[in-house]
Amino acid sequence: MREPAITRRQAIAGIVGGTLALWLGACGGGARPSASGSTLESIWGDPSGSGVLRVTGGIPLIDRTDLAPRAAPVAVLATLAHVSDAHVLDAESPARVPFLARLGPPFTSTFRPHETLTAHVLAGAVRAIGALAPDAVIQGGDLIDNAQANELTRSLTVLTGGAVDPGSGAPGYHGIQQAGNPDPFYYRPDLDAPRHPGLLEAATAPFRARGQATGHICPVLGDHDLLVQGIVAPTALTRQIAIGDRAVWELPSHLRVPVTAAASAVSPDGIARPAPVNSLIEQLAADAGVRVTADPDRREHDAAEAVGRLRVAAGGSSGGALLDYSLDLGEHVRLVVLDLVRRGGGSGGLVHAGQPQWLREQLATAGTRWVLVVSHQPLTSSAGGGALLRVLDRHPRVLAAIWGHTHRNRVVPRRSAGGGYWLISTCSLIDFPQQARALQVVATAGGGVALRTWMLDHVSKDGLGDVSRQLAYLDAHGGRPQGFAGGRLDANVILHRA
Amino acid sequence: MSDALWAALHGVRARRGHAVLVGMGIAMAAAMLATAATVGYGLSTGFSRSAGAADLPDVIARFDAQPAGRIASRIAALPGVAAYTLSDEHTGVQLSAGGDSSGSGVVEEIGPGPRGYSIVSGHDLSDAAGGVVLEQGVASAWGLRVGDTIEVGAFGPQQIVGLAQAPDNVAFPLAEPRLYVMAGALQARLPQLSEAQIQRLSRQLHVSRDEVLRRLARIKRRAQAPGAVNLAKIWLRDPAQLDAVLVQARATGYGVHGLRFITRSGVRVLIDQAAGIVIALLGALSAIALLTAGVMLGAAARAEVQRRLRAIGVRRAIGSTRRQVALVSALEMLIVAVPAAALGVVAGALAANGPDTRLLALLNERGPGGALWLPLAGCFALAVLLPTITSTWPAWRAAGRRPVELLRGAELRGGGRAAARPRRGGLVRLGARLVAARRVRLVATLTMLGASAAFVLLLLALASELSALENDPATLGRRYQLTDSQPASAVQQVRETAGVADAAPRYDVTAVDSFSLGETVDVIAYPGDHTPFEAPPLVDGRRLRGTHEAEVGNGLAQALGLSVSSTLALALPGGDELRLRVSGIVSALDHDGRVAYIPAAALLAHDPSAPEQIAVRLKPGADAASVASRLEGAGGGVSGTRTITGRGDALVRALTAVLRAVALIDGLVCLYTLIQALALTAHERRGTIAVLRASGAGGGGVRLLLAGAALAVVAPAALVAVLLERLLLGPQLGHIAAGYVSLALAAGPVEVAAVIVGLALLSAIAVWWVARRACREPIVAGLP
Repeated sequence: MREPAITRRQAIAGIVGGTLALWLGACGGGARPSASGSTLESIWGDPSGSGVLRVTGGIPLIDRTDLAPRAAPVAVLATLAHVSDAHVLDAESPARVPFLARLGPPFTSTFRPHETLTAHVLAGAVRAIGALAPDAVIQGGDLIDNAQANELTRSLTVLTGGAVDPGSGAPGYHGIQQAGNPDPFYYRPDLDAPRHPGLLEAATAPFRARGQATGHICPVLGDHDLLVQGIVAPTALTRQIAIGDRAVWELPSHLRVPVTAAASAVSPDGIARPAPVNSLIEQLAADAGVRVTADPDRREHDAAEAVGRLRVAAGGSSGGALLDYSLDLGEHVRLVVLDLVRRGGGSGGLVHAGQPQWLREQLATAGTRWVLVVSHQPLTSSAGGGALLRVLDRHPRVLAAIWGHTHRNRVVPRRSAGGGYWLISTCSLIDFPQQARALQVVATAGGGVALRTWMLDHVSKDGLGDVSRQLAYLDAHGGRPQGFAGGRLDANVILHRA
Repeated sequence: MSDALWAALHGVRARRGHAVLVGMGIAMAAAMLATAATVGYGLSTGFSRSAGAADLPDVIARFDAQPAGRIASRIAALPGVAAYTLSDEHTGVQLSAGGDSSGSGVVEEIGPGPRGYSIVSGHDLSDAAGGVVLEQGVASAWGLRVGDTIEVGAFGPQQIVGLAQAPDNVAFPLAEPRLYVMAGALQARLPQLSEAQIQRLSRQLHVSRDEVLRRLARIKRRAQAPGAVNLAKIWLRDPAQLDAVLVQARATGYGVHGLRFITRSGVRVLIDQAAGIVIALLGALSAIALLTAGVMLGAAARAEVQRRLRAIGVRRAIGSTRRQVALVSALEMLIVAVPAAALGVVAGALAANGPDTRLLALLNERGPGGALWLPLAGCFALAVLLPTITSTWPAWRAAGRRPVELLRGAELRGGGRAAARPRRGGLVRLGARLVAARRVRLVATLTMLGASAAFVLLLLALASELSALENDPATLGRRYQLTDSQPASAVQQVRETAGVADAAPRYDVTAVDSFSLGETVDVIAYPGDHTPFEAPPLVDGRRLRGTHEAEVGNGLAQALGLSVSSTLALALPGGDELRLRVSGIVSALDHDGRVAYIPAAALLAHDPSAPEQIAVRLKPGADAASVASRLEGAGGGVSGTRTITGRGDALVRALTAVLRAVALIDGLVCLYTLIQALALTAHERRGTIAVLRASGAGGGGVRLLLAGAALAVVAPAALVAVLLERLLLGPQLGHIAAGYVSLALAAGPVEVAAVIVGLALLSAIAVWWVARRACREPIVAGLP
């Protein structure tokens, strides 16, 4: 007797499976995000404008020929990733001033609805970069938010791998976003839409990070890495507040915000001059606030400690007070990192004495290598940045100057005597669109070069990263209304250079 | 088929009286169904229809005047915003036209963008044309039409270019009179007022000349700064994301004082809750009517089939199939049911349409128009199908028996002869016994008649209660009628005053939220349970218990992002801060829902000098003026609470008209039930009646017999009705409506007497009708 082509069990399984597949499809399974986070394959977008992010098709690379005509790629010379402004923060820290966000710019970055998830987002970015397998990962500055030792420990563990504890103080979450807080200006995930009951507990639960598997870690110093709120150099008062047991959660009725503060915004994440903020801190110190669990791990580090720890994470051991260094990625590409952070306070960049000369030396010794110059603050807005740009203008092998700080994607050509180069700004991981940038230096036919760059979405394993991205998208003070994602020419592009 | 149709037509012609009776029943049921469908469908779909037609915004935000640019930038930062309009809303504007006027007019100067209202007559505003668009409620109340002129305060006469409907609020006179004008259009024509005009305005507005000048100066200041707005209408791409948008709106609302939101979904919930009571009532009534008609028609069909068993047997014997017999029966019913149902549906729809349209207009909603045809068609189909099935089924069953059995069983079984023997009590008693002999039918009749009468009682009680509200002060959810300015210590003395049912100290302060959102909150405190005095409907959570909990209004919850178990933080006038756990969210209309009910102990602990008064609840039927006089005599300063019907008498009138229309149709159902019950009895006992007539009893004797039968049905039915209304329906409806209004729905003696008299009258009509039919039949036809 012949065996039937399909057994009854197979037929039932097929029907059930098919029905299930149809049902899942009908239930809006929709497109799945790219496992590598590459926006060439998929993006998180809001095509209907409803406020809910959905996965849609990827964005192909387009050629930008502002500086040179299009040329066919011949070989990949180096692959890099630029991750900037992760702002991994201690959401329960008494050293924070989240109540200022309601006052609007320039204080909006003092509170974000998704601020408990910064470590998870960084871990998701590391996961996406792992799929890229780059030669180097530029950690573009503002890795942490408030110059606290526990923030740096947390973020470096995410980068290098290990057990990450996103909480501080007592176990669990005790902060402004808990359901019992009556202040309506804070998003409370247990109460407010979109509701995410249990999010705070999940966000502060320890997790294991895989870490960066391949490529050099190239840290860049940002203002938040060693200044309180990215503006104020730690003082005895701020140190005492950080490790203390009193936190201010509500806007004190007596608070007088200096007029100069509102007028001095340079970046979305801080105030240029520290004086008005110092005045605020002194007023806040007098406020009774609420009692929290003291935690010595929240201590504020000084500049030397922060630079030292970042240097160690990068595999280095010694160096000067500034985190300036260069790194050759094979025979064709040199990376030059500049530290423009003001040690005395203020979020804007500052070119320190001797840096133009040091940069000239790095360019001179680069030989035929293509040079990528990286800083946290934009050279175009930093005090003394003009001098550095003039140095770059003269050198024929400078391919791009790359920075973060503005939290905004932007790519503009800079024409120069040396043949021109690209000024590239990468968005932050904390504000929407929460992306990193992939960079690929490509040799082109005819001896030219091109820089292929595309954005990488962080890849969530437990869903917390996706929640963060959605909340960041909704944030009316965040990257969506401010257009931080940039335009079509600021993201997935091929930048040609003769 | 044509043979069956011919036979059916012949059958109907041969039994015209029976056909009329059946047709009446079907018409009654159809009318009841159509009434319920007209009112129910109109109310349940009115808001969606009107909101859709008006493109009602998803969020309406009101706030203290702000520069338009400041508001625009904040709205633009919100997620999912499809469009928005910024307007400047002037309140307290003197409007007058013809002999009508109002000093509380609202003029909305609208900017570019969507409107949020629909034009029901004339055309919309345009930059070039000028003029004003008037809310249709004002136009209707004041008899204004497109092209007429309306005096708009200091802006002088303006031409009405269109009439609008905006379902974000109820219509005038329930709400303030409202008109719309293009931004800047009025200021451009701001005239210089003469002293005489200023004096006239002063008289019209009942304010001093200085106040008129102050208001004019304010208008002129606004005219010089045309960028100021105080109203934003926002449309979302996905209304399901409303809550998330509101969270962001709140987060960016700092510094925008007096900010309060009205959402489309919030308006809908309020209207649906109120309409739900009426719809549930009508649904129950129509079900009763349908059931009554079904049972009666079924009984009539069974009796008719029983009477015609011999004829059916003959037809079966000469070769008719079972299907043909059933088909003839079905066609007979269809011939009667189709016109009767059509007549009933049309009558019901017409009876309900007028009051329903008025009610919808007061709610600023549109009537269903052509969309009503579908539910009415459903009513028609139901009114035709149900009796057809109930009449065909007995015929189908009977035709299944063998012709011999049918021919043998053609006599009515039962005690016709036995019952015909008069015993003590005469013909009235005999009539009662004849009805009682059919016990199952008697129970069914009693139930149906009792239920219908109970609903009539309920509707009468409700209508009286609503009418009483016109004079009897009570606001939604507010159950006390008077306030006494005496200190709380005098509460016992007030309680002991004649006519007072209960009294309690009531504290009322205006607080602000602790977070400088600019929300003012009406804080109301009672020492114990506040629900005997104020019981706004609970939307979520539970009533407060203990001294650390609060119930908050939905407006406040939305403004401050409060939900059950979150913390309410209030800054009291004395400067102290009060924090309470939210136990429940209530649907409150006062103060845009920005109210909080808290325990008096919590308030007094922080503010011992909080203003106090005594809330006084009157006994049912107590005269408020007399009680007030007595309280004033005892040293109190008494005032009535704000009335629901201060401007709401039109709504009450419309609701009362709906209830009376329904009660009328329900009364007709009662009449039909009675006639059918008596007709069935007369039909089944035609032998008894024939014997009576043969033995000398005339029409009077037959009427006495039928009066006995009617009494046997009506007397217990009236008792059932009173018990059902007082013990079940009244308390249940009162409980459902408790959130909105305190209703004493237990029928009073007047309503009970009215229903008993009504039933007696209906019985008399039924007896007269059935006796007339019975006496028309030749005596020999009924003799065995």
